[in-house]
Amino acid sequence: MNYPDPAIYDTLPKLLRHNAQSHPGEVALRLKEFGIWHETTWAEYLAKVRRMALGLRELGIGAGDVVALLGDNDVDWVSMEIAAHAVGAMTLGIYRDALEEEVGYLVDYAGAKAVFAQNQEQVDKLVSLVDKARTVEHIVYSETRGMRTQDDPRVLDLAVLEQRGEALHKADPAAFDAMVEATSGDAVAILCTTSGTTSNPKLAMLSGSRFIRHVITYLKADPKDHTDEYVSVLPLPWIMEQIYCLGFGQIARMTVNFPESQDTMFQDLREIGPTFLLLAPRLWEQIAADMRARIMDASAINQWIFDKGIKLGMKAIEEGRRSGLADVMLFSALRDRLGFSRVRSAATGGSAMGPETFKLFLAMGVPLKQLYGQTEMLGAYTLQAGSELDVDTVGPPFEGCEVKILNPDVEGVGEIVTRHDNMFLGYFRNEEATRADMRDGWMHTGDAGYFDSKQRLVVIDRLKDIAETSGGVRFSPQYIENKLKFSPYVGEAVILGSGHEFLTAIICVRFSIVAKWAEKNRIGFTSYTGLSAEPRVYDLIRGEVEHVNASLPEKQRIRRFLLLYKELDADDGELTRTRKVRRGVVGERYGQLIEALYNGAQSAHLDTEVTFEDGRKGRVKADMRIMDVGGAPTELQKAS
Amino acid sequence: MAEAEILQTFDTQAAAQRSFGEPVLTLENISLGFGGVKAIDDVSFEVRKGEVLAIIGPNGAGKSSMLNCINGFYKPQSGSITFRGRKMPSMDPHFAASNGIARTFQNIALFRGMSTLDNLMTGRVLKMDRGFIWQCLYWGPAQREELENRAYVERVIDFLEIQAIRRTPVGRLPYGLQKRVELGRALAMEPEILLLDEPMAGMNVEEKQDMSRFVLEVNEEFGTTIVLIEHDMGVVMDISDRVVVLDYGRKIADGTPDEVRANQHVIDAYLGVAHD
Repeated sequence: MNYPDPAIYDTLPKLLRHNAQSHPGEVALRLKEFGIWHETTWAEYLAKVRRMALGLRELGIGAGDVVALLGDNDVDWVSMEIAAHAVGAMTLGIYRDALEEEVGYLVDYAGAKAVFAQNQEQVDKLVSLVDKARTVEHIVYSETRGMRTQDDPRVLDLAVLEQRGEALHKADPAAFDAMVEATSGDAVAILCTTSGTTSNPKLAMLSGSRFIRHVITYLKADPKDHTDEYVSVLPLPWIMEQIYCLGFGQIARMTVNFPESQDTMFQDLREIGPTFLLLAPRLWEQIAADMRARIMDASAINQWIFDKGIKLGMKAIEEGRRSGLADVMLFSALRDRLGFSRVRSAATGGSAMGPETFKLFLAMGVPLKQLYGQTEMLGAYTLQAGSELDVDTVGPPFEGCEVKILNPDVEGVGEIVTRHDNMFLGYFRNEEATRADMRDGWMHTGDAGYFDSKQRLVVIDRLKDIAETSGGVRFSPQYIENKLKFSPYVGEAVILGSGHEFLTAIICVRFSIVAKWAEKNRIGFTSYTGLSAEPRVYDLIRGEVEHVNASLPEKQRIRRFLLLYKELDADDGELTRTRKVRRGVVGERYGQLIEALYNGAQSAHLDTEVTFEDGRKGRVKADMRIMDVGGAPTELQKAS
Repeated sequence: MAEAEILQTFDTQAAAQRSFGEPVLTLENISLGFGGVKAIDDVSFEVRKGEVLAIIGPNGAGKSSMLNCINGFYKPQSGSITFRGRKMPSMDPHFAASNGIARTFQNIALFRGMSTLDNLMTGRVLKMDRGFIWQCLYWGPAQREELENRAYVERVIDFLEIQAIRRTPVGRLPYGLQKRVELGRALAMEPEILLLDEPMAGMNVEEKQDMSRFVLEVNEEFGTTIVLIEHDMGVVMDISDRVVVLDYGRKIADGTPDEVRANQHVIDAYLGVAHD
């Protein structure tokens, strides 16, 4: 595969212009709106970016300014991002579900001069920030609905901006070209937020040419071309979505499809039939769980086929092959149903994924591969080869990416440090953090891992999360949590035990599925809280915990657990926006519960502050029962 | 082309300002009885363009009967209704529907076996001119007409954020969503006046908030006049411009939410003062 020369095309605007000149009529983007897929060709893409860029320049946006982007993944977002790069500005993506104060922090910290806020909801966040968003001079929106009564003078309709841009282009047709020529690959183009499992996100500075070069490195490990179809479902501010939508899109000319809304994602996925797919582990887990939930409603014969097919398929995968029979009776239909029929390459990343879920998709014929990386390193820099069954490693590093294990212990486990030529330039306005993470040119990831016998990297957990019980048993909470989450009934789990005698768990049930189970078993409930307090639900989850315990060494078994009265929520700071558990916050907020888990009490009382979706705060008091999991292993109980 | 035209109609309607001056619908001295029971007793009020008017009252006060008189489902025994400059003793249902009066029902009245999309398309039937013969052919004017109407329906789907249930049979949807689909079908008729019979009954707080938001947005974006019956006083006082209160078939108050809240007759009716 020949990709454009990064020495010539070192910024996204230059690449886009190149694509529009060489393949003007080819479809670059697709967006579903009003029930129809609307296509954008490369020529139209460029024209849109040109209008936006000229419009932005007229607003006074130029080199060194920051343009923040806030909204759903769509054509306007990616076009605005490239347009901002064309005028020499830096872009900062903000998660669409970020709360007002998070938006305020980022916008203020970066000193954003203009913000593209897709709709009324996002514009309102900015307008009500007032003082915190003092640097913001322009707020551009694309959806007019509900904007009629908005009278903030900074607010501007994207259509108006584009009209002005078009007029400017007519007046001076060479202006845009000159602008694109002037862009430099060495300048910072993207400010990418780190996930911030510990604190406020930091902003990694990524330059255009490094971005493009790293994407080409990635493409060498997993080639793509213009026949590839990608559905963009992960949040665009995330580094991997930037790599795919902008990087793969511009360099390999992979077609990027934007779904109609978050709710229609799975339908839209099926309509497009993507050839390449990246979902977060949580989404893969959700697909697997939904599948199981649906089959609960199916007829007995279908349930039998499903169970049999899964069993056959999983067994075959463990033996390193695929089961033809299972494919005929179950998996080909499942693939079609889920929209995975044409998938040539699929990836999961962002956090670890349970091995059972992983195997399930392999059995289904979805060539799923784990990848590993950090925002600072421009996303992924290792990827599984996919040639053999491998549920533990994240594969070998890409060509030109160096990874080593710092201070390995006797088993070879130590901190993963890494470097490559195209890594980030440092944290924006935070020299101190840059110095802390970048030592002697190596990025210290803070993850613990080791290389296996085939030089594949194995990531265990965050270094500081690897815990030790008071009895000296080392364990990885994440590893056990992922095992628990393979159960369709478990939505989220937090394993505790550091410095204590044994392991315990705080578990959130998966509402959609447990609710269905309850309905089937004629258990009445009114809310999540009610359901998770139900004794029979406790029994159900205890069964799941015992099942997991059976596969764990005795010292790492979960001895007690409780079902949390609510789901862990990013709005409460318990999860990051990419849905990783923030252990610090959980430990702090639920200290009362953790205490009760270890002092032998039969129930735990909680009195805590919650944040509602609109940002208001309130207090919650709740009592939760604690359940002991039988000390004797399951086999013994059966025998007696 | 078709889409551009539809876009335009949306814009011009939306540009209509909130002005409650001129009455679009006037009801004078309406009385309706079933046998010996007087459901409505000599009630007069008017509906002004662009307003959100709530009709409230205790159970059996005649609220639903009032709506049924407005869209012609019931024929009042006396009184007159003026709509679009036509003064009639009672409304003709077909005239009402084809002249921009749409409604939703207290007990959802959707086609349960049909998808959300098909249900919404039934709201467009009156906008289609081609007859049965044309519609039997796949190509031709009927297809064009279908496409134009589908495009309108898709805008309604987008507006009500029900894209994900486009193809789901409505019988399988939860109650709150069915209510929303029913609102969608009424909106598909491009109504000038929208009659909502207890749009929030049986909903939880979150669903009520969603529905209130949609009602207000319909009113703001399309300039649609809204007449609604609702029991939740919080909702009524929050979203209405004007409130008409009925009790035992009579009108006992008519004014802004604040006026009505302070009205002694209303307080008596709701707190159950003995009628003598």
